[in-house]
Amino acid sequence: MEEIILKGEKLKLLPEKAIFWEKKSALLMADLHLGKVSHFRKYGIALPPQSEDKNWQVLSRLIRKWKPQKVIILGDLFHSKYNDQWENFVAMTDRYSELEWILVKGNHDVLRERHYHRSNLTIYPYALKMPPFLLTHEPDEVFDGLYTLCGHIHPGILMKGKGKQRLKLPCFFLGPEIGILPAFGVFTGLHLLQPEEDDQIFLIADQQVVAI
Amino acid sequence: MTKSKEHIELISQWFRENNWKAHSFQKKAWKYQLEGYSGIVNAPTGSGKTYSVLLPVFASHIENKGTPNGLQLIWISPIRALAKEIKISAEKAIDAYDLSWRVEIRTGDTTTIGRQKQISNPPQILITTPESLHIIMTSKKSKKIFETCHTVVVDEWHELIGSKRGVQTELFLSYMRSINEGLMVWGISATIGNLPEAMDVLLGSNNNDKKILIKAKIKKKILVKTIMPDEIERYPWAGHLGILLLEKVIPIIKSSQSTLIFTNTRGQCEIWYQKLLEFDPSLAGIMAMHHGSISKDMRAWVEEALYTGKLKAVVCTSSLDLGVDFRPVETIVQVGSPKGVARFVQRAGRSGHRPGATSKIYFLPTNSLELLESSALRKAIEESRIEDRTPFVRSWDVLIQYMMTRAVGGGFQAEKLYRELIKTFSYSSMTEEEWSLLLNYILYGSQSLKAYDEYHKIGKTKDGTYLVNNKGVAQRHRLSIGTIVSDAMLQLKFVRGKKIGSVEEWFVAQFSPGDHFWFAGMSLEYVRIKDNFLEVRKSKKKSGRIPSYMGGRLSFTSQMSDVIKEKLYEYGKGKIKDIEMKKLVPLFDMQELRSRMPREEEILIEYFHSNEGYHLLMYPLEGRNVHEGMAALLGQRLSRILPISFSLAYNDFGFELLSDKRIDVDKLLNKSLFDPKNLEQDIQASINSVEIAQRKFRDIACISGLIFTGYPGKEKRQKHLTSNSRLIFDVFREYEPENLLYQQTYEEVMAVELKEDRIYSALERIQNKKIIITKPDKYTPFSFPLMVDRLREKMSSESLLERIEKMKVELVK
Repeated sequence: MEEIILKGEKLKLLPEKAIFWEKKSALLMADLHLGKVSHFRKYGIALPPQSEDKNWQVLSRLIRKWKPQKVIILGDLFHSKYNDQWENFVAMTDRYSELEWILVKGNHDVLRERHYHRSNLTIYPYALKMPPFLLTHEPDEVFDGLYTLCGHIHPGILMKGKGKQRLKLPCFFLGPEIGILPAFGVFTGLHLLQPEEDDQIFLIADQQVVAI
Repeated sequence: MTKSKEHIELISQWFRENNWKAHSFQKKAWKYQLEGYSGIVNAPTGSGKTYSVLLPVFASHIENKGTPNGLQLIWISPIRALAKEIKISAEKAIDAYDLSWRVEIRTGDTTTIGRQKQISNPPQILITTPESLHIIMTSKKSKKIFETCHTVVVDEWHELIGSKRGVQTELFLSYMRSINEGLMVWGISATIGNLPEAMDVLLGSNNNDKKILIKAKIKKKILVKTIMPDEIERYPWAGHLGILLLEKVIPIIKSSQSTLIFTNTRGQCEIWYQKLLEFDPSLAGIMAMHHGSISKDMRAWVEEALYTGKLKAVVCTSSLDLGVDFRPVETIVQVGSPKGVARFVQRAGRSGHRPGATSKIYFLPTNSLELLESSALRKAIEESRIEDRTPFVRSWDVLIQYMMTRAVGGGFQAEKLYRELIKTFSYSSMTEEEWSLLLNYILYGSQSLKAYDEYHKIGKTKDGTYLVNNKGVAQRHRLSIGTIVSDAMLQLKFVRGKKIGSVEEWFVAQFSPGDHFWFAGMSLEYVRIKDNFLEVRKSKKKSGRIPSYMGGRLSFTSQMSDVIKEKLYEYGKGKIKDIEMKKLVPLFDMQELRSRMPREEEILIEYFHSNEGYHLLMYPLEGRNVHEGMAALLGQRLSRILPISFSLAYNDFGFELLSDKRIDVDKLLNKSLFDPKNLEQDIQASINSVEIAQRKFRDIACISGLIFTGYPGKEKRQKHLTSNSRLIFDVFREYEPENLLYQQTYEEVMAVELKEDRIYSALERIQNKKIIITKPDKYTPFSFPLMVDRLREKMSSESLLERIEKMKVELVK
């Protein structure tokens, strides 16, 4: 875990690829892509069914550990069309019904309204203002004076070392005006970014968060 | 006269009428085939091998002139281009015997209507590919079509046997035997090291009392010449282009009717074409280029022009290794190492087609050490040291695809299919337990019996038939049949119309609109990407990049490395005779001076420091892929002794371990590091970190249906179902490592990529050798090519965090 001050707010960057914002007691995460493995399986692509379970394990562990009042999902909560993994999510929001579950919709969130209604979710179609932050899915949403925290990109960094070593790792990518969270879900890829001078990068490696 | 003698007489009569003399191997093949045998005919191209197995099929029909109903003969040809020639040959015979049989070709190019007709009204002879046969098997009518067929010929079996297309062929044959017990199967093969095994693979455990291997006693003469650099001292130590010797190729082209110039990669092919034209503009119009990325139409044009003698020279790649014979071709030039004896012989054989003519091949070394190969190849050819083609066994990916094929084409019974499969060579060792895991996998999408989700692909009826009823599943499956997996490609076309070829997506990703690059000898400007097309227009700019391509990372075969070693040891024995070797003496002297020319009883290690780090080089001379495994093994074993990270590089001569830490080589490098014991374990441990398996998994994922590449021509790809094979690999590694497909990946890496058995024998050899460690103060002729090789892998025993700690600095820079 790495604790940082961003726009005057204390944030904990967690190796589970989420942020805990203590002052607001909010757990922030992006790109869960729940149901992705099941979606593939439904179309006859036989990925290991047990891989889907990890998302649930990590999510409940985070909730038990940090006891947040809010879970805020920055888009791409569910991968595609409805499948039975959604029921797991509904059950989870029921189990932790005292929490405020918030979804800022992403491009993958295409479930029918009735499915969202059955869960405990409060839905924001584009963005949620929580000064000093603007919480969105895609990085192109901006609002005067607010720092955008978002997902969508699945940021990764290519590290190069002596002897031409190369290593691709997921990261928190915090620029001067926009910060991008790593993708939370298990079956999600990486999109490599090239950091500039004033970007702050926090890698996730070996269950740890490392500033570079 | 017995019936079969009568029939042979009928066949021979036609030969006599044409003034052809039947070879003894042909007569032998006729006799055995007429007696119901199966087997292999081993004969070189252009020796009448087609008629050796084709004619007996007609024999019993010649007298009564009747046209049998339904399919009689399936002719499997791995190469589409050859189909037409076979068809012409067959029709010639049909005319001569005054029969009214139909001969039809079916490949991926056959129109939909044509395919439907072939199913509703099959020809007597069908010439086709393994893939097309599997596609026919997905039709519910397939049994009806195939059951009348009594003979299957597998042409160019040597081309199929070492690939998964060979397994596909085995599976098709096993199906054919299940519906036609007396099926005769004949393979036609060029010479390979393991012909008897090739026959076992083709026939499985069938025809045991009636099988025969027939060898033609025709030997083709091959003349190997070397294009010599004038001064070896000035010829580069590294590199793979060979342009410096280009001017010596011009007179060769001028003095022969037609010349094929073989290059090893498509990029090299482009460069050679361009440079030849620049050097001698008079070649314009009489020289062409041929490689696998160029559009089918353009390739067909080149082949036609070559066939009719309109071209003086063609710069090509392996795309012209096989296919129809081009009679005007008199001379071959091989640019750079062919890596194997068989490939070199094959290419040489593309010249000199008149009976009794000599094939002439020039070897052009692209760096000084490659001169050695010319001399080595000549020796190997003299001694007929041709490589084996190792068959794939237990390829679960191909089997899963086949199970789906059978499930789509009317369904299968588990018990019965199992009995068919264990009679094949490839799956003869499959246990019942493995079989039930595979059945679970296709039925439940998981090897364990937990059908708790919505996975669906295949159903099981009450009577136990595994069946696909869903049209979407069936359709997607038909589109994924095949075992040749290529990189994601984009079609290349002009803005207004014509397609000119295809390039890899990752290659295109390096460009933006307005950029220029060379393709098929043209300077092109990138205009835009539209759907699956990269649209370009012709450009006048002379500068531009040459598309580079993955692949082309071939390795010395074991025959090749053996003969290379023998040649190299001649230095120590003072027995240098060949002109190529004599030319190399100054280079060998320098190696001896700066380090050491390894003797037969020695194994050489060089260790030195540069601003890149600490270089440890070793030269087992075993070929690139063996060195890849050895490098990983040594790295793994060293890093168990001390925490250290290496980056690895390898070529056909040796490998390099580069590190930022100094090690005490004199103390650490002893024979125990090269102990063959625990080889498999140690390599497995090391390949996890070098990601070979991850790369390899893509093929397996595509073949087994884990990756769906989409509907052809559909503008929108199935985005929601595409994913990258690395991700899939990672979830298997974490959640289902016992999965047979995941396990297969490692087995293939060990056997196919790393050649575990070759590493094993290399290590055994090292045990009997003396380790010589030199510390040159300068790079050596041996080390230089390795150090400039940019293909590196990493491996480490330091923790991830330690490594990141070190890497930071580099990133900030």
